[in-house]
Amino acid sequence: MQGVKKIVKTILLILLASLFVFPLLWMISSSMKPEESIYQDLDSIQALLPSFEVSQWLTSYSELFARFDILGYLFNSILYAAIVTFGSIFINGMAGYAFAKFQFFGKNLLFSLLLAMLIVPVETVVITQFTIIHNLGLVNSRLAVVLPMIANAFFIYLFRNFFIAVPNSIIESARIEGASNWSIFWRIMMPMSKPAIATVGTLSFIASWNDYIWPLMILTDGDKFPLQVAITNINSTQPVFTNQIMAILTISTIPLIIVYIFAQKYLLQGLGSSGTGSK
Amino acid sequence: MEATNQYADRNKKSKFSLHALNFHLQPLYFMLPAIILLGVFLFLPAILTIYYAFTDYYLLTPDQREFVGFSNFVELFTDPVFMKSLQNIAVFVVCIIIVQVGTALGLALLINKNRKGNIFLKIAFFSPVVMSLVVVSVLWLYLLNPADGLINSILQAVGIDAQPFLTSPKQAIYVIVFVSAWQGAGYQMLIFLAGLQNISREVYEAAKIDGANRWQSFLHITLPLLRPTTTLIIFTTLIAAFKLIIQPMIMTQGGPLNSTMTPIYYIFQTGFTDRLVGYASAMTVVFGVLIAIVSFLQRKLAKEDI
Repeated sequence: MQGVKKIVKTILLILLASLFVFPLLWMISSSMKPEESIYQDLDSIQALLPSFEVSQWLTSYSELFARFDILGYLFNSILYAAIVTFGSIFINGMAGYAFAKFQFFGKNLLFSLLLAMLIVPVETVVITQFTIIHNLGLVNSRLAVVLPMIANAFFIYLFRNFFIAVPNSIIESARIEGASNWSIFWRIMMPMSKPAIATVGTLSFIASWNDYIWPLMILTDGDKFPLQVAITNINSTQPVFTNQIMAILTISTIPLIIVYIFAQKYLLQGLGSSGTGSK
Repeated sequence: MEATNQYADRNKKSKFSLHALNFHLQPLYFMLPAIILLGVFLFLPAILTIYYAFTDYYLLTPDQREFVGFSNFVELFTDPVFMKSLQNIAVFVVCIIIVQVGTALGLALLINKNRKGNIFLKIAFFSPVVMSLVVVSVLWLYLLNPADGLINSILQAVGIDAQPFLTSPKQAIYVIVFVSAWQGAGYQMLIFLAGLQNISREVYEAAKIDGANRWQSFLHITLPLLRPTTTLIIFTTLIAAFKLIIQPMIMTQGGPLNSTMTPIYYIFQTGFTDRLVGYASAMTVVFGVLIAIVSFLQRKLAKEDI
């Protein structure tokens, strides 16, 4: 009796897990079989398995690469994500340092203003952001894709909290040795804040990689599109082949899988980025 | 040696304490890049949006904009699509909180038990999180295809009629709730799990000795001790849910019959596709104030809780 109960329980758990993974499996397996097999396999478990002939696995990928400049889109996505990630670590880190370790006139006011900006829902002001980019003459430039994503009030706040914990005595002794503020920031503060750097870096990378609405608005040249915009573009370019669509979806997901595997322990830190920000 | 003396001299003159700045302008250099970027791309747009809301700004002729008073605001309150979008987002927000947060809590409780193979369950539940919203939306568009999608063929295999899903004005918004919850629950499961693991085993053991059954200890120990986590998750979900745009944009284009039109999507269409920046700004102000109020309340409540 106990054994039967255990088996039923296990089956239910497997069913529940399948509910979460089957779309991902279908996506990957459909990208690895001929177009007609996708629809022939729908009513059997074979829907979640790639083609039985290994030689067919990469056919849809090579067709996709022949039709579209996938490497170009991949390059664009990586370029934007890299600039946003490093820019964000650097610029928000610098501002966080200023808020944590300097006394200056208007600091509290500026800091309150910064916290108030956490409330502004960025997504609602994209139209006005667009008019500003338009006035700056930056429409359809790569610069316009990354610029608004770099500075982030929450990340400044996060860095500040980390930097405050660095003992002043360390900074003092460095200063007595003749270190400038710049080298204190670069040689002491940043190396002591690796978890903050990892958190901000991971979250910035994911945000940039997944960004869709903004590059869609700002870019008109197809050769500047990041992958996310390219996906919907390819999905509306006739003829549409399901296996090729699943291939591009898979390609654009792989880098994120890698990031999530390596940065999993920093993910939860980002809670406040869309949430309370209070700790 | 010389550097030390210089520093000591300067410090004597300075009114500030030891750890304070030696050059008054230095903090400014460190903040300048962030301040400029935040100013130009967040602060200025927020202010300009309020100004544009009172004009008839047309995207292609910015110089001809004129002050029109409150007429944009009068118009939006009689705009059936905007009203419909507010109604839709209310439905979406309520449903997503119940479905997604409920699912996340359930999954976390399931995984919190020590069981062989838990790591596989955890990976399975988390796997949708690694896909971007664009990927998720396009993927489910294929899965939910009424004619030859995988979901309908599974339903038919177990004897359920094929469903219209996204092509039905009645079902579409709930399908979007389902897809969004499916994508997001795994992430919140991790947060709940962290919260659960902070509750010490001793509390449960003490309750057990006092004769509490599993349901009672869940109700009287787990839930109350998990409250800060739950509050945090509910409000992060709430704020994110208000901004729904990518899923309807890709899966339904707001249809059928505006049944999945959301405020942010409508603002995007009006301001960008139809180029009516003035009118879109008025809607942004109304909706933005709504989000800001919720966000502010969240901070108040969360502070009490955490």
